[in-house]
Formats: sequence, structure tokens, C-alpha cells
Amino acid sequence: MSFQTIQQQAKTEWELFDRPDRFRILVGSATCGRAAGSQEVIEKFREELANRHLLAETDIYEVGCLGLCYAEVLVEIQGKDGRRILYQSVEPRRVADLIDAQLVQGGIYEPLAMACTQSETDTSIPAFSDLEIMQSQVRIVLRNCGIIDPTNVEHYIARGGYSGLARALQMSADQVIEEIQQSGLRGRGGAGFPTGMKWSFARRTESDRKYVICNADEGDPGAFMDRSVLEGDPHAVLEGLLVAGYAIGADTGYVYCRAEYPLAIERLQQAIVQMHEKGLLGANILGSNFSFSIKIKKGAGAFVCGEETSLMQSIEGKRGMPRSKPPFPAVSGLFEKPTNINNVETLAAVSAIMEKGAAWYAGYGTEKSRGTKTFALAGKITRTGLIEVPMGISLRTIIEDIGGGVLDGKTFKAVQTGGPSGGCIPAQYIDLPVDYEHLAEVGSIMGSGGMIVIDEASCMVDMARYFLTFTENESCGKCVPCRMGTQHLLNILTDITQGKGKPEHLDTLRKIGATMKNGSLCGLGQTAANPVLTTLTHYEDEYLEHIDNLKCPAGACRSLIHFSIDAAQCTGCGACSRACPVDAISGTRKEPHAIDQQTCICCGSCRDACKFEAVLVS
Amino acid sequence: MSIISLTIDGLDIEVQEGTTVLQAARKAGLSIPTICDHKDLSPYGACRMCVVEIEGVRGFPTSCTTPVTPGMQVTTQSEQLSTLRNCTLELMFSGHPNSCLKCPHRELCEEERPQATKAARTTRCGFCANRDECELREMALDSGLNELDLPTIYSAHKLERDDPFMDRDYNLCVLCGRCWRICEKIHGKPAINIIHRGKWARIGTAFDKSHLDSGCVFCGACVDICPTGTLTDRFARWQGKPDQSVATTCQLCPQGCSVQAQSKDGQLQAYTMPGFDKEDRLCLLGRFGAAQILSSSKRITRPLVREGDDLIPVDWDYAYQTISQGLLDANGTTVFLISETTSREERYLYARLASSVQGLLLSCTTEAGPDDPKIQELAASIEQGKVKAVVTNGFFISKEILNKTAFSLVIDCMESELLETAQAVLPAAVLCETQGSYRSADGTVKQLRQCSQAPGDARPEWQIVCSLAQSLGKEGFEFDVLDAVTRLVDNDAPPAALEKDPRENSREIVTRFRGHYVADIVPSLAAFDVPVTLANDAGDGRKKGFALLEKQEIVPNMHFLTIEAPQVARFAQPGQFAILMARETSERSPFTLVDWDKEQGTISLVIEEVGRSSRELASLRAGEHIAHVSGPLGLPMTIENTGTVFLGGGCYGIGAIYPLARAFKEAGNRVICAIEAASSYLLYRQDELAEVCDHLLVGTKDGSLGIHGGIAEIVSAISKQEQIDQCVIIGCTFMMRMVTKLTKSLNIPTQVALNPIMVDGTGMCGACRVSIDNQTQFACVDGPIFDGHSVDWDELALRRSAYRRQEVQALPQTVDLNALMHSHSGGCGCGRKND
Repeated sequence: MSFQTIQQQAKTEWELFDRPDRFRILVGSATCGRAAGSQEVIEKFREELANRHLLAETDIYEVGCLGLCYAEVLVEIQGKDGRRILYQSVEPRRVADLIDAQLVQGGIYEPLAMACTQSETDTSIPAFSDLEIMQSQVRIVLRNCGIIDPTNVEHYIARGGYSGLARALQMSADQVIEEIQQSGLRGRGGAGFPTGMKWSFARRTESDRKYVICNADEGDPGAFMDRSVLEGDPHAVLEGLLVAGYAIGADTGYVYCRAEYPLAIERLQQAIVQMHEKGLLGANILGSNFSFSIKIKKGAGAFVCGEETSLMQSIEGKRGMPRSKPPFPAVSGLFEKPTNINNVETLAAVSAIMEKGAAWYAGYGTEKSRGTKTFALAGKITRTGLIEVPMGISLRTIIEDIGGGVLDGKTFKAVQTGGPSGGCIPAQYIDLPVDYEHLAEVGSIMGSGGMIVIDEASCMVDMARYFLTFTENESCGKCVPCRMGTQHLLNILTDITQGKGKPEHLDTLRKIGATMKNGSLCGLGQTAANPVLTTLTHYEDEYLEHIDNLKCPAGACRSLIHFSIDAAQCTGCGACSRACPVDAISGTRKEPHAIDQQTCICCGSCRDACKFEAVLVS
Repeated sequence: MSIISLTIDGLDIEVQEGTTVLQAARKAGLSIPTICDHKDLSPYGACRMCVVEIEGVRGFPTSCTTPVTPGMQVTTQSEQLSTLRNCTLELMFSGHPNSCLKCPHRELCEEERPQATKAARTTRCGFCANRDECELREMALDSGLNELDLPTIYSAHKLERDDPFMDRDYNLCVLCGRCWRICEKIHGKPAINIIHRGKWARIGTAFDKSHLDSGCVFCGACVDICPTGTLTDRFARWQGKPDQSVATTCQLCPQGCSVQAQSKDGQLQAYTMPGFDKEDRLCLLGRFGAAQILSSSKRITRPLVREGDDLIPVDWDYAYQTISQGLLDANGTTVFLISETTSREERYLYARLASSVQGLLLSCTTEAGPDDPKIQELAASIEQGKVKAVVTNGFFISKEILNKTAFSLVIDCMESELLETAQAVLPAAVLCETQGSYRSADGTVKQLRQCSQAPGDARPEWQIVCSLAQSLGKEGFEFDVLDAVTRLVDNDAPPAALEKDPRENSREIVTRFRGHYVADIVPSLAAFDVPVTLANDAGDGRKKGFALLEKQEIVPNMHFLTIEAPQVARFAQPGQFAILMARETSERSPFTLVDWDKEQGTISLVIEEVGRSSRELASLRAGEHIAHVSGPLGLPMTIENTGTVFLGGGCYGIGAIYPLARAFKEAGNRVICAIEAASSYLLYRQDELAEVCDHLLVGTKDGSLGIHGGIAEIVSAISKQEQIDQCVIIGCTFMMRMVTKLTKSLNIPTQVALNPIMVDGTGMCGACRVSIDNQTQFACVDGPIFDGHSVDWDELALRRSAYRRQEVQALPQTVDLNALMHSHSGGCGCGRKND
């Protein structure tokens, strides 16, 4: 079957996705949507549509994630009038109203309506692309997420999928590598090594066998970029893997995906079957001399298996532990054969670059950091979500425009990028352009895309301690600086947050940090001290407050704070005492209440429950 | 392979391509510290000590993993490298008990205690079986630990003793990975690897199965390659560093593996692998069995001849005379039953002797015993009177058949039932107690070299056979040296190889040595389902006696026991002790009473797990019983109001000073208690002590809590602040001695509780003799509390260590075989039971 024929078929199928004679409902059902209750919403739609005898003329699709985490469950409804409306925060109890408002009455259910998604905008509500969260975004990696049915390969192909592969197969392998080099794409797993150059190394090594691996072992706490792509657009990644395989001369590809991503694995498995059916996998792909097979390897979830040498050990059936480089994987990798390993986001970008060309991609971003980057925006921010922005965009645009600013109107204090391997960037750098070079300048890293916004009520020592609990647990134990260093860092940070810190601790933290950075075997250990070192650089005062004055300026460290009730503000409503999990608050109704300091565990529930700001922290 | 030129520390070096920077540096005579690197293992890069700087390379690459490249410029010494290495070393040591290295008394302590002190779990170098060979300690002594001042993180793993031969103390492990890497190298699939992550990461088996179930074949390579005291051979554990290492051949089966015999003071410690390659591997019998066979308590040590019902010890000449007379009197065919594992020279001499007396020689295979068909045939001949005499060098025939001969001679190393009926018995030196040559199953002739002293009067068989032949008047046996015999031996056939290689499967080891069941000699072999005739009595006596109400390991090696013993509790007074026997067969051991409750009828003790007796007590569980408790014994402490009393306790003494503190306090004294330990995690009962004294002070040898030092430092500090009227010190001999020396100079009257070896505790045996002011006193009835300034400490230390060898050899016998065989995780359907 020629690729034209395949595309023709796909086009027909894609038209069926948008039928004027039927109702269409898209429900965001990636893991994030499911967690918010998308399956219950779908069930409810079926039930209510059946009640209204509309089920037979309605198509319901589960699509991937649009990245609007704060607004899940997202439902897009298209009536026979062609009007498409995106609704946010849909709960099963609102489903009947939605159907009645739009499908029965032909209007819009305004309380939940978020945007209209058809090409001609409806005047009453904004267009999707005009939403503040969308305005500054450029969606290349996420081009299909939430838009197509991820279980349908035709949808992917209809939107340009596999044309990049078809184009690559017309080119020589060296031309493909040249194209990727021209695009300026750099590894999106964190280190930012130029992808084309990496491929050229693996291509250059002579061997009877070579491998390409897709690293889908996304492990940073709070990061979910790769999961979203795999769940919402698996073919984009697999096409990239094929191109990489063709470029370096590999005949086998592995996708190493953590077992905690069952939906992603299911989508990948379906996609592989479909690729075989279409002749996009197996012998002589699209009639070329290129043959390729893909295997999925489920990882057990060790963070260190995201490190390339550990990941390869794990595929080989060994304990996931890093080894020293050289030899680099491009020379001796999986089963001691030349191996190229790229992250999910990189490969999804590759397929786009091959489709639209290097120059198009290089048109985005900055001179040294081309293209776009996805971020999982989380923490104390109004609009949490998965975003994709051109490189070089300022932190301010991301946090204030896309993210809608700090939650509850609190003051912005810092942003943590790069997860447990990254660092904190304090508020004064809010206009910093987000690219590899600038983040490194302030002591942080791009990382895989975690971005956690920190407000004034967060303690930086506690923040560093949190990340160290993660790395201390995830250190594989092989090398001394990482295994022992993380334990000591965590112990010291815990002591400081509990008021047991000593002045000499800061020096010890710096020394251990330097030893880990300079002495550890792999990236995990080399970067594990970053959260400590960057907060020490920017917030030494905060550490000293804990140590010298036994005070937590942010009011977050439980051992160093106590809660009290301002009698002047307290109305005696009793909300605090009802919220208290340990019954530490007593008082007569309509009289000021009081907190028993002996019983209080400083959880802060009372402060959250109080409507009169009568609970004070000191 | 081409030659590569590079520069290291300014030296121009040429090495083969593929060489690592570390190897190249070593070749140039430069020393770079490392722990995980081993010449027989591939590069690993875990300890991070061998970091170097390489021009043009970012950061600090490890020299062990970096291959040389042409023109490379390497720096191995710089300020940055030194800081990095010292910090790394300190991080490594923070996970390894290190207080001895930070102790202000280390040099004096090691001078007075040249051998490491036995302990269950190792909590410091002084209590480490590997102290004298530890590569980690060596590195620390070279570099010092003064960069970071980190607290020790003691992971409190239990001492793993659930396999037949090894004691594994993972609290000492620095995860260099040598053990699992050598296991992988030799056996392909390693039985062990790093398990778990982060601070829980440690060496272990898959799913934490016991070693018996993990696929481990007990080749011992991991033990021999471990740079620390983590993995130890339970038998050799406390014997110290070998002083002799000889390449020889294992004679325990026809395979004839090459081994390296390690011995100390003329006693074999172990056969170890001659190298760390697959072809060097040994079976568990060779690796762990040989030394236990040689040191067995069942060894025959003197020539014996029968007089009536008894075998009487005699000298060699008398024995030869009696035996040659006996053989002549038997007046008929003599059959020689000779083990095929006997050396070539000795087999040759036996054959020559057999032919010179017109006798027959039957070669007995490894697995042959009295039920062998060849032996059955011989039995018939003996009954028919065709064979009159038998000479056997093993347990190949039953005592009944032997009894039917006119004369019988046993030339063997090990006691058996044959001693009930044999007419004469001669003690043989075996294995590496003798020399010669051995033809292994693959046909090669290998050397047998001596490395161990035979026990008692035992002699090599070649000497025995020659002397006996000469005594019989035969010619051609005039050999003074073995070489002369060797030259006569030619084309002997190689023995048949074993059907299955015991090095591949631990269940395929030979079950007999010279006809004796090996499991009768080395009891822990019973774990491999090999035949055994002797009953195993481990675990008996736990149901009768004094009820153990409470048992807790309060800190590593210190066990707090509360026992129901109303009679002891009723009469107990401060300073007294009780003698305990865990089982009917146990040794009697004295322990100071820490507390008692007359109404409840209970006593409490703190027991430090050190050797066999304390181990037996420590392994009891609450609800089980202690066979015997006698007490209270010894003279009580005289408690008067003297003013300010200083009580100092270390180790078990922390518990022992408690009743004294309480009594002195009740008598109206100002009581100052001081306790010391190697590190803060080894201190215990602080709250209890604080309640019965006015002031509690703490000292640690690593400075992790309180004063950096011990009781001595505390005494000198306190004495500057206030007057001490009386001092009582309880703890190890070293500490008591040091403190009394100080208090003498300070003129403080000082009493100590002495801890000599004690047997009956009532003044009968005299084992606990001590010299006080040059007067002999018995610690049990005249003490245990004496004037510390009058003690002859040298004598006490000498007497306490008098039985060290026996104590060390008794340790392997503490293996609880029942537990061992049932430590099994179950579920595999093999039929063995779960615990």
C-alpha cells in the first residue's frame, strides 16, 4: 500500500469524525481526566442520551489531554449546527443540563462553557485559542493531544502523521540526521544534548546490530508531559522512534515505559498493532528497504531507570544501576551494541520536524535553544496545567499570563524547575527567558519540564527537604556520594526544620553538596543536591532564621511555629474547632476560642477553616 | 592492540590499549585509593575514591572506569581531588562503624588488645574480625577522617547467620559490590546483588531468600573478596590474619582441586580459591569443610593398642611392635582397605606393604562405606576365615566384621565405631598436614604441601607404613624423605571423576571422607540433606528451667533479660552476680545483676553477646527457658555514706552500675554516674540511670555525644570541679585499668568489678583467680569487687585470654541447625518445613 493510499483512507476516516448529521462528544480521558472522573461523566452521558433517545445519533470519543488540569473534566460538545463548545469542570450531575442546553435546545450551557473550538468563533464566549492559558502557547509536541482519538491511527495520519517518516525514507540516513541538526532540536529529557549530533555518533559506530530506545520512564515528582503525549498521541512518538531508527541504522526499538502508566502502555500497544496493519512497522516499511520492530519494556518505577545506562541495564533484565561513561551508549549500549536513546518529547518533536521541516521548527525559540518545550505547571498557581511554549519565553509570561498568577493572590516567591534535580529560581528572576542557557546561569536546569510555583507561605528549607526525601529514597545505592550524601543532607535538613539545626550545618550541606556534584556516578547523584544548593544560595537567611532564631519565616515548619487565635477577630463561629483533627480548640459559641498548644499539631486546618483571619501563625 | 602513550602526574607512560587510567597509574608506581576496584573484576566505579583530573574532560572521572587515550594528560593529586576524596571517604565511613578511628585511646587500646575482641555484630574496628586485613581501615588511616564530622548512620541490620558457613554483618558493608560481581563472574547468574534502594540498599538475595534457597553454592569467593568484615567465614572469623598461605591440592574427593591453604599458628583456617576465575572455584566442602575437619574434636591424636576391653595410649615404638606381632600372629591373608583419596606415595607404599606380606589391597572410593558390595564380599571372606587380618585407613568396614578378624589395625584421622573393636589404632596426619602428590580426576599430578600441624602424635601415613614395614622386617621401606617415594610412583591411573560437579550444585558434595560421614564432623553440612548419624542437639533445653520473661536487644550486642528466679531475687544485693547456663550442655557464665524484684521474683541482667555462651543466651526468646540460674553469688558491695560517689560504666557495665547507683543514692551520697560507649547509638538505659543519680555524664569514643572520650576523660574533668570521695568502675578490663591508673594519680579510692573466667562461682575451681596486692583471691567468693589500685592487670588480661583459641573454635558450633534447615521460605514444594 502506498503512503498516498494510506493518507487517502485516513482523510475519509477523519471526515467521519466531523459529521454534520450527528452529535459528537469528546471527553478528555487521559489519566488526568480519568482521575477527575471522566469515566463517570461518559457513563452519565450515555445514560442521559439514552433517556432522550439521542444515543443512536451521538458519537462519544475519549481523547487525550488538552493540558488544562485545573479545568478537568473537559468535554467538547458539537451539535448538528456545527457549533463546538468546550466545557470545564464537568461533573456527572451537570451532564443532563449540558445535553438539554446544547443538544436539545441548541444553545450553550453557560455556567460551564469555557471556549468555542470551531473555526468561526461564537460571539458569546471566547475562542479556545484566545484563552489566556492558550495565547502564548505553541503546540508542536502536543499538536494532537485532546484533538484526535488516540486509538485511531487514521486520525493521526489525517493530521499529517507519518508523512514525516515517508519523507525520511525518501532521504538518506545522513540527510535525515542533517535535517534534525538543522532544526536545532536538543534532548528534551533534561540535559539538552543536540539530538542530531547524538544520532550521528550512533550512526558512525559500525555494528551488526543497533538499537534505538524511547525513554518513557518519566519520574520527576509532578511531571507528566511524557504521559500526556503517550496517552493522547502515541503515534507521534513512535513515528519519531522509527525516524531515529532509520537514521542510525537500527532495526529494533524499545519503548521503556514505567508500569505506573498503564494507559500509556495500552495506547502504545494498540498503536503498534495499527502500525503493523498499515505496513508502518515490520519488514520493508512503506515499500522501502527499512525494516523495524518495536518492543515495549515495562519499568518497575525506579527513578534511576530514567538514567540511560540504568535504563539499558533494566531492559537487559539486570538491576537498574548506572555505569560509568565512556563507553557511551552510541558506542556500546543495550546488549553492548550501539544504541541511541531519546526521550518521549524529543521523538514527538522529531516526527513534527520531519513533517514540516527543520526551518519551520528552528523558527521557534532562541538561537541556542530552538523550538518549544512542554512544562507541567504546578504548585501554588491559579491555572495548573500542561503547557507548551516556545523557548526563550519569560518566566513571567508562563506564570502570570498562562498560569494566571500565584494562587489566592499570594506573593510569588520562587519557581522550581527541573524537579528533584533542578533548583529554585527566586522571584527577582521573573523576567528570565526560559531556555537551557539562562536556567543554568541561575543554578537551575531545564530538566524534563517540571515547573513548581512557590508562594510566600512555602518554606525553602522544607522545600529542599521534600526533594531530598525523594532522591534519598530513589538513590540506587551504587555510589557512595549519592547514597550517603542524600541521607546526610536529608537528616540535616530535617534537623533544621525541626529546630535542631546548628550553624556549622550550612557548611556541611555545601561540602556534601559539592562532593555529590563532583563525585557521584550518574546524573541523579550529581544533581540531587541542587535543591539544597540553590536555596542556600538564594535563601541563606531563611536557613539561618531556622537555626539561630528557631523560626520558620514562611510559617511552614511545624516544629517551629505555633497557632493562636486573635480574640479581637474571632467571632466564636466554631469552624476552627470543627476542623481541628486533634480537638485542640475549645471555646463557647460566639465567644473567642483558644488553642491548646500542648495538643496542637500545627496542621493549619484551623487557619484554612477560619473566615475571619483570626488564626495567627508565629 | 596498540601501545598508547599518556602522561600521568608529569610522567610519560606507555601502556596497552584498553588499559584503564588506574592500571596505567599503578604501572607507573603511583597509588590511587580505591575500594570497589579489584584486579580480577571489571571496572565498576562505585566508591568514587579513584577520581582524577583529565585535561579536556569535564569534572572528575574515575580512573578505574576510564580507558586511556593517546596523549591523555592525567593528574592524580591536587587539592580539589584530595578534598573530594576525603569527603567521599568520610561519607563512606559514615555508613560504617568507625568510632575506633576517632577514638583518642586507639593506639593504647590496640597495643593492649593485639587481637580484635569477639562480638556478634561489629560496632567498631576493635570488635571486627577483619580488623587486621581491612582495606577500608587502611584507607582511613592513610587519609584521616576530619573533613566533614558526620554522625554515623548505623543501619542496625541483624547479623545474618541463616546459612551454614558465613556470618554476614551488613552494617559494615560499603556496597563496593565486589561480592556480587565475583559471584556473577564465577557463576554467571549471581546469587546475590544489591537489593532495595536508597538508604535501604544492601547486598542480598532475590526476594530475601536464605542463601540455601538462593542458588548460592557456597564457593566462598564473596567472603574472600570482601574488603571489609561484612562477609566472613564463620569458622575462621576470629582467628586473625593468616600467617601462611600455601598452594596445595584438596584431597577431600577425587576431583583434586587446586587450593590455597591459609593457616595461622600452624592451624588451617581455610582452603581458598587459588584465583578469582571460574576454573578456580571450589565446592563448599573444600572451601568451608577442610579446616573444620582438621580441627575436629573427633581427631585421633595418639597411637592406641587394645588391652582387653580398652584401647590404651602408647608410644609409637610400642605400637609398631605390638602391631607387627599381631599381624604375624594372625598368620593369614591381610587385606588393606585404602581410601582412593590417599596420596599417590602412600597408596604406593600401602601396595608395596600389602604385596610384601602376600596381602591384598582394596581401594575404597570416596562414597564407599561398610555397605559397599566389595566390603560385603570381604566380610564373607573374613567369616569364612580366608582373611585373617585387616588394615584400614578409614571407616570402610563395620565394627562387627572387624571384630571377626584375628587382627585389625586402623590408621585414620577420625574416631569412629571401629575404635570399639580394632586391635590397634594409629593417628594419621591428613590433608595439608602432610605432603606428597595427588592425581586429580583430570589426570594431572598435583602437589600436596604441608600448611598445618597435625594434632598430638599424629604422623603422615607414609612414615607410618615405612616404620611398620621395617618393624615387620620387610626391606625396601628405608625412606627418610618423601621425594624418594615419589620417584618410584609412576603411571598410576587417575581416579574416576565424580558424576556431578559439586561446585555447580551444593547438593552434590561427597558425603564421606575416608568412610566417615562429613556431616558428622562438620555439623552444618546437615543443611545439604547429606546423611548424618549423630543427632543434633541444638535447640534443646528451651522448655525447662527458668522462664525468660523479657528479652530485648537494647543496643547492638547488648541484651536485656528478665528471668523468673525468685530465690535469686529474694537474696540479691548490689554488686552481686548470677551464673547462667542457657542449655544443659552450655558453659557456666557469670553476669552482674542489674536489677531484681523480690515481690515478682524476677532478676534482670545485661548480657553482651560475645562468644558461644552469651550467643546461646542471646538467641533465646521471651517465653523460652534458661537451663540453670545460680545466685546471688559474690560479695555484695559495701554501701556507706562516703560523700560523693562516682560510678563509671562501659559496655555491660552501664547496666551493672545501676543497682550500685541506686544503693549509694539511698545511703545519702551524692552520686555521679558516667557512662561511655564507642558511639551514641551504643548507649543504653540512660533514663533509668538518670533517675537514681544526681548527675549523669556521657562520653563517646567518636565524640558523637557528650564528652569525646570515655570514663577517664570524664573523671579528670569532674575531679577538677569537685571532690570525688569514692569511685566504682565497671566495664572492660582495658577501661577499668586505664581509669584506675588515673584515679591513683588523683588519689581517689577506686573499686572495680573484675571479670575473669569463672566456672563454678563458689570458690572450688580456682579459675577466677586474681592477684590483689600480690595475694591470690577468687573473684567469685572474695569479689567480684576489689580495690582497683591493687589489681595485677597484666595477669588478669593474660588469664582472660587463655582459652581464646577454644572460644573462637566454639563459635561455629553455635549455629542452630534446626533453624538453619527451617530458615527456608517455603512454597517450593521441596518438603522442608518453614520455621
